Amino acid sequence: MKRLTRIATIWRKELIDTLRDRRTLIAMVLVPLVLYPAMILGSLQGFELQISRLKQEEYRIAVNGPALAAWLRDIIDKDPARRPGAAQRPAEELVELDRRGELPAEPPSTRPTRERSAAEAAREDVRRQPPPYAIVVVPDAESVRQMVIRGDAHVGVLVDGELPTGEGRGSTRVTVLMDQTDIRSQIAAAGLESIFDRAADALLQQRLRQVDLEPEFIRPIELREESTASPEKVGGSILGQIVPLILIIMTITGAIYPAIDLTAGERERGTLETLMVAPVPTVDLIAGKFLVVALIGMLSAALNLLSIGGTIWLGGLGDLLTRGDAVVIPLGALPWVLVVLIPLAVMFSALLLAVCSFARSFKEAQNYVMPVMVAAMIPAIIGVLPGTRLEGPLLIMPVTNIVILTRDLFMGRFDWFHILWVTLSTTLYAGAAVAVAARLFGQEAVLFADSGSVKTLFQRRFFRPSDAPTAAQAFLLLAVIFSAMFFAQQQLLRLSGGAGTLTYWTGVAGTMLAFFVLLPVAAAVYLRIDVRRTFRLRAPPPAGWLAGLCFGLSTWVLVQAWVVYQQRWLPMPQAIEQALERMVGQLRATPWPVMLVFLALIPATCEEFFFRGFALSGLRQGLGKVGAVLVVGLTFGVFHHSVHRLIPTAALGLLFAILVLQYRSLWPAILAHFLHNGLSGLSVRDDALRPLLATLGFVPNEAGLPPVGWLVAAGGLLLLGIALCLFPPKRGAGLESQASIGDHVTGDAP
Amino acid sequence: MIEIDGLTKVFPNPDGTEKVAVDHISFRVVPGEIYGLLGPNGAGKTTTLRMISGLLRPTAGRVLIDGIDVTAHPEVAKRQIGYLTANTGLYARLTPLEVLDYFATLYDLPREVARARIRQLVDWLDMGSYVKLRCGALSTGQKQRVNIARALIGDPRILVLDEPTLGLDVLSNRLILEFVRTQAASGKAVLLSTHALDEIDMLCRRMGLIHNGRLIAEGALDTLREQTGRQRLSEVFLHLVGADQAVFATSGQESTTPAIAGPPRREA
Repeated sequence: MKRLTRIATIWRKELIDTLRDRRTLIAMVLVPLVLYPAMILGSLQGFELQISRLKQEEYRIAVNGPALAAWLRDIIDKDPARRPGAAQRPAEELVELDRRGELPAEPPSTRPTRERSAAEAAREDVRRQPPPYAIVVVPDAESVRQMVIRGDAHVGVLVDGELPTGEGRGSTRVTVLMDQTDIRSQIAAAGLESIFDRAADALLQQRLRQVDLEPEFIRPIELREESTASPEKVGGSILGQIVPLILIIMTITGAIYPAIDLTAGERERGTLETLMVAPVPTVDLIAGKFLVVALIGMLSAALNLLSIGGTIWLGGLGDLLTRGDAVVIPLGALPWVLVVLIPLAVMFSALLLAVCSFARSFKEAQNYVMPVMVAAMIPAIIGVLPGTRLEGPLLIMPVTNIVILTRDLFMGRFDWFHILWVTLSTTLYAGAAVAVAARLFGQEAVLFADSGSVKTLFQRRFFRPSDAPTAAQAFLLLAVIFSAMFFAQQQLLRLSGGAGTLTYWTGVAGTMLAFFVLLPVAAAVYLRIDVRRTFRLRAPPPAGWLAGLCFGLSTWVLVQAWVVYQQRWLPMPQAIEQALERMVGQLRATPWPVMLVFLALIPATCEEFFFRGFALSGLRQGLGKVGAVLVVGLTFGVFHHSVHRLIPTAALGLLFAILVLQYRSLWPAILAHFLHNGLSGLSVRDDALRPLLATLGFVPNEAGLPPVGWLVAAGGLLLLGIALCLFPPKRGAGLESQASIGDHVTGDAP
Repeated sequence: MIEIDGLTKVFPNPDGTEKVAVDHISFRVVPGEIYGLLGPNGAGKTTTLRMISGLLRPTAGRVLIDGIDVTAHPEVAKRQIGYLTANTGLYARLTPLEVLDYFATLYDLPREVARARIRQLVDWLDMGSYVKLRCGALSTGQKQRVNIARALIGDPRILVLDEPTLGLDVLSNRLILEFVRTQAASGKAVLLSTHALDEIDMLCRRMGLIHNGRLIAEGALDTLREQTGRQRLSEVFLHLVGADQAVFATSGQESTTPAIAGPPRREA
């Protein structure tokens, strides 16, 4: 409690200090509220102005002969699209209306169009309403080409053979020469082509009249395209392309100054020394500072969002963005986007704080921040690529996942599963970044420039031997292994020809050994951490074995019952159920000992090594017993990559963590884990335990619920195991306290 | 009481070699005493003081503050230490009142106690006219007063002062020396590191001389005078660091070797 008060004090002071800093206020308030909408409006209006000017300019057409010039002049002047009331009607309709003399005075109603670029929009506009043209006559076709190449004419027109007439029967080839790299040439060509289209339509109708046919005769199918996207969705999709990027940049921009100021700035001004002399743990200091930076980042994002909303609502930004189409900007999505931005702001604040903690001066910090900005933009851009979807590795790819989720939210797609995944993975990355920041901040080498090199933080020979990793190291490894495992599994699925094959399972075993055992052990050796103590490899007392046995024999029954119960309120989609079935796949056909190795022995050993070994020992240092048990349990659940398995796996992780902490040995947890996995797998096999269990009365009902007697027995065993952990037996407790002394002094088992 | 026993600090150099900045230093400072720590630039004084205040972790040896090990229980030990240097910064965007209030909270003082203590310090240091201005707008002397108040806010039993008068004018200088004397008189153990020999002469009864990371002489001033046969403190100092004969012979070398200091610089 006292600690929270202290962090709150640090937070309040840093916030006051930061809010009095003009640079922060400019980056956070002035930029979004004034400069930024002004810039958007200015650039968009400038662009619109330029486009509308281009649409009214007179364009030069080069032709190779007076006859062609006269014909061209005629069809341009008679083009029905140039009359009032013609705007936005398709060519055939215009020609038809014109023939009947029914061209109305008012334009038809608009409907949402597809997304398009500004140049595309301009070309489409001149197709509906062509610009004025001047015609230049030159001697031959080559001169026409040269004029277009030199830019003396915007387009050139060449005709092969006779000029087309309503009386003739043949077809005349007309070539429009244009320069694709010149916007004026593009516009002139687009307008001219639309004139030709309408002229061709008029000629066609003349010819049809001559043979007494209706226009429908040559149009057996009248094709129309209609978008089902609601105006809100179209608006959301337009916003979704721009806004996430802006928000990410603005969140970082808002957080940069406080992050530098509160770390490197403090060091440079000489206040850091004073602060470190105060009787406050570094973790509390960095926590207070981190909360301020995260708050400023979020405020900055919120102000930007507000500003975007305001500009759309008041300033007509929406009209400009959508160019007058009937598109509705989904303002209702903005609060949701803000909620998603919270973990992003947290992650970036922690990252910036970590990077700046490393710097010794304001300038140095600024140098470090630039690469962070660039690094953040790359995944952000992946997120706005057209067609990216929130699935597979993108689900946990930092920044990218938030960009895609923001876009989805704008388009009205709410998926709680996605929101959960994005928030959880981002929070994990944020935690790792905070841990690194706490480790770097206040390091001697960073605190005093004269006391050695920053290298000492990373080079092995400078490390001091220790009994266990720090919480920061544990968090870091959790984050690294979390993404590494995810990508490895995706690769495995591709390389092994799908889940369930024996190759796949061998690969899984290999990745588990590599990431859960070899990597943590290598890290421990590199960091000069005592491997035996960190991984708790000493033998447990008999009570420890007994508690492990209690858990191992009971949880498989209880988890089975839980899954049945959970199915009622969080039903597992059939696709996932089938995927899980496929995962076991070929293992079912192998002799049961093989299944036992892949499904129980390897996962139990490897996962315990990492979660209840390295991670628990490290987290125990920084978070205390309760905190460490909770975090280990939850991350163990998250690591199973499934919402439907989250609760039971987290609960198992929790139980095993308590077991390991109480008996200071990993072995009982490995036993419990092995029994749980093994019994779950073998209890359904006819060539293994199923017949035996059936004779003992273990026959689940149709829903899969185990018999009541078994449930009661398993519940009792579980409670016995928990009791053994919370209240170790008297003799055991005596041994335990001895062991705890021995553990510290000699490290030997009693 | 400060008890220092075999205190050692080794810094790794970027090239992989090691530099022994402080080499097995031991001494003690008892309550009510002002102990002077003297030494040339780069001798290891600041490193020693930083280890005592818990800013640096000793490579070997230990520091006991009223019997509490600084390395083992930094938060408890730091509570008893008031730390002040010449170049301690203040938060430029906060007022002295806010700074004092902040540190009072960091030292876990109850609200009323903190308020009373701040009022007392503001009166005593005569800071009333500027306690509500931003620290960035204060003069050097005013800032140093705020810093003194900041160092005393937790009512520490130990004062660690690292060249507190460096760069101050005569008036502020006198204020600091007065402050040191009254604090010692009130029963605090004061450890004062300085270049200014006359300050040591005025304030201290005992002193230690650090040279190249080692405590080469320690004891009562009078004893040191007797030992060296010199009366003026500057001569005692030069004799002890072994530079008294060399001063004229190798005057060129003297300025390039930081380990051998010239006569102490006086700040006016």
